[in-house]
Amino acid sequence: MNPPTTLKTRREFLRTTLLGGAVSWTVPAFIDSTFTALNSEAADKGPQAASRDGRIVVLLQIAGGNDGLNTIVPFTNDHYYKARPTIGLQARSLIKLTRELGLHPSLAGLRSLIVGGQLAVVQGVGYPNPNRSHFRGTDIWATASDADKFVNTGWLGRYFDNACAGADPTVGIAVSRQRPLSFAGKSGKGINVDNPDNYRFMVSSKDDAGTMATTQQSYRELNQSSSTMAADAAASINYVKRVALDVQVSSDQIIARSKSIENKAKYPSSQLGNSLKLIARWIAGGMPTRVYYASQGGYDTHINQPPAHERLLKDLGDSIQAFTDDLKALGHFNRVLLMTFSEFGRRVKENASTGTDHGAGSMLFVVAPKVKSSLLGKYPSLAPADLHQGDLKYNVDFRQVYAGVLEGWLQTPSQPILGQQFEPLALV
Amino acid sequence: MLEPINPKQWDYRLAAHLLNRAGFGGPPDEIERLAKIGFDKAISYFVDFDRVSDPTPAPAWAKAESEEQWEQRSAARRAADPKQRSQIDAMRRSQERKNLSDLLGWWLKRMANGSRPLQEKLTLFWHDHFATSYEKLENAYLMWLQNETFRRNAAGNWTRMLEEITVDPAMLVWLDQHTSNKRHPNENYAREVMELFSLGEGNYTERDVVETARALTGLALDKTRQNYVYKPEIHDEGAKTVLGKTGNLDWQDVLKLIQLQPQSQRFIAGKLWTWFAGVPPSRELTDALAEELRRSANHFQPMLKVLFSSQEFYSPEVLAAQVKSPVQWLVGTCRVLGRELPPPDTCDSMLTSLGQRLFFPPDVNGWVDGPDWITTNNLLDRYNLVERLILGDPGRKITPAPVAKLFTRAELADKAAFLAALERRFFLVPLEDSQKKTLFDFLAARRALDDATVQQTIRLALSTPQYQLT
Repeated sequence: MNPPTTLKTRREFLRTTLLGGAVSWTVPAFIDSTFTALNSEAADKGPQAASRDGRIVVLLQIAGGNDGLNTIVPFTNDHYYKARPTIGLQARSLIKLTRELGLHPSLAGLRSLIVGGQLAVVQGVGYPNPNRSHFRGTDIWATASDADKFVNTGWLGRYFDNACAGADPTVGIAVSRQRPLSFAGKSGKGINVDNPDNYRFMVSSKDDAGTMATTQQSYRELNQSSSTMAADAAASINYVKRVALDVQVSSDQIIARSKSIENKAKYPSSQLGNSLKLIARWIAGGMPTRVYYASQGGYDTHINQPPAHERLLKDLGDSIQAFTDDLKALGHFNRVLLMTFSEFGRRVKENASTGTDHGAGSMLFVVAPKVKSSLLGKYPSLAPADLHQGDLKYNVDFRQVYAGVLEGWLQTPSQPILGQQFEPLALV
Repeated sequence: MLEPINPKQWDYRLAAHLLNRAGFGGPPDEIERLAKIGFDKAISYFVDFDRVSDPTPAPAWAKAESEEQWEQRSAARRAADPKQRSQIDAMRRSQERKNLSDLLGWWLKRMANGSRPLQEKLTLFWHDHFATSYEKLENAYLMWLQNETFRRNAAGNWTRMLEEITVDPAMLVWLDQHTSNKRHPNENYAREVMELFSLGEGNYTERDVVETARALTGLALDKTRQNYVYKPEIHDEGAKTVLGKTGNLDWQDVLKLIQLQPQSQRFIAGKLWTWFAGVPPSRELTDALAEELRRSANHFQPMLKVLFSSQEFYSPEVLAAQVKSPVQWLVGTCRVLGRELPPPDTCDSMLTSLGQRLFFPPDVNGWVDGPDWITTNNLLDRYNLVERLILGDPGRKITPAPVAKLFTRAELADKAAFLAALERRFFLVPLEDSQKKTLFDFLAARRALDDATVQQTIRLALSTPQYQLT
């Protein structure tokens, strides 16, 4: 097998293979229009338009509904211990942030980031009329919609549409098999990669080199051949054709750039650790990607929460620590903002099974070269009278955090992407 | 709405569509047989599957442990020192894994070669609908028991299905219902039974969830955790209000109240339509299907017959427009290649990488069907895995597909005839002229249609966007 080494941007790819004369069949309508757009906006301006300073966002989904109250603990609050007689965390075990708040002890990995002013806890994050369904909750976070509206594009997909015209499909990479709804957009940018070693069309090595090359060539032609996009063609075939094209545009560089760099930190051997490890290599390897997406699951702790939550947070803290150490050593930390999110927090009161049920209002982490403050937003009141159906009330709309990322970090107006004007939360 | 098609329209193409959707696809001779027996008989072959005998025995290990056995096992475990105990646990886990692998092979074989394709397709639907994962259960017997409940009620009664699933031991564990009691009602099942299983978001209130959780208390497992038992002492006897009705409601009352909501028929009828048609139904179509379900006292079989006979089901926006699920892709590809399934563990790893690991749905919402099956990652995986299904892979114990047998001597003697036969066997969505030219050029560069050439050509043809649709 010969590892392919040619790197092509989508633009070069389109020009050489579609319009270069070597291939004579009709240019598909959607490629044609893409190319026209590329020509007018970005053609011949060198490499694809990067975000300002080549800034990057890493979005980390912690799925299942993280228990924010046991992630950042109000250890002087009687209401907390009253609501959580079994699973409440004792003050002495915590990593103290202030005289009232401490992090779960498993998050020791985050300590150096806190000391360095590189980690912010955003407290009391939520939205009006919170939904306690995992799926609806996740969709609301992905689409940035109001709780009573159904939107089929994601906030990052709309960022790609609005602010990344002319970019390669690799402008967004999700380390997963399934596409996150956040990536859904009109232009369909963003790819999925689970394992870069398999991210290529493989031809059995039984064949001689010539035959293998012919097979590769035929594969490429078969998957570029979306002749005319007939108006009556099913949306599904057009969709698969576009994905097939994205595969070809991205395959070579995904492999090459994940191999050109060696990690300089030791990661946990978890799925999350492996995902961040890969992302660090792509960042340092020069991928033109602006948004990376990784995830960690398992936070739906209805039963026997303490050991599970401990294990999850340890993986989270250690993975983030390895990732940031790695980026610092590789010289790219200053380009990266990492943000976590979870679809909801959990009920203030613990349940009968040493666990917690679905709740609302929670917290998230932001890691950046320099954050405004290690605590943003306000810690929600736990007084029973201040709860809504047993849940915390939010004081920061999660879309203010998105607006803060878009405006403060990516330096692009947030209103066209979020559909409404939110007061950006000052993060960095 | 839902008028049957004219039986005179019944032809090879429509028969192929029915075989793909009500079953797992198949080779041209099967399609021809369906086309020949006529429209009514073809529909009946699928939907009236209870008239076809099904001789598949249950897996040998699929038996409940008796209470004595359980006592003995627990006592031995208690008596063991920590090191022995962890060995005992490890051995049990590995035995469960082995059984689960056997169960996967057992089920896939039923899909690929069984006598009741629609029953298996529906069993898959219910597994996706009442999505329960082995991840939490670690018990192959409970997974099998649930799978049989899906199969037994596959085209049966909606009310009955919901009742049986509510007390299904796997479900009781999966959504924590067995830990719920009157002092601390657990809301997990109470929420999902309305949100995901029967009504859909927005058709109940948060209050309904809280009160339903109270009504559902009493459902429990015996100490072996394999059998459902009702424990009146943990049932909340107080008054609850669910979906507008107040009283000392219990689990059966709540399920009845759910079934009384017209939305419960609309919800499941619409989901079944989407599953089989691949596109969401219009409002009118949902109402019409729900009406069919009501008319037959919540029995699915008559509704399915209407669905598979309808003009809507054979309309251009439905025909050949569904993205194959990984299971459909794997089972269907083996069927059209005339090959046996790879061994269960190989199937397991293939389905895992394609995003549909059976018995391990991503969460209680099941898999996200439709175009989302295809991402850049999964498309490449399909292209690379199909090579193994054709050429074989000794490392994974995959035999080569018997490709030469798929074509007649005449077809193998003439490249144009070969390509025509290839297209007929593998594609309902036609290839484009440019693609045909690519394949023709590929063949032209080769001397003869030997096995290797036939294999490579099929591999290339199946590595196209069109093959991902059904």
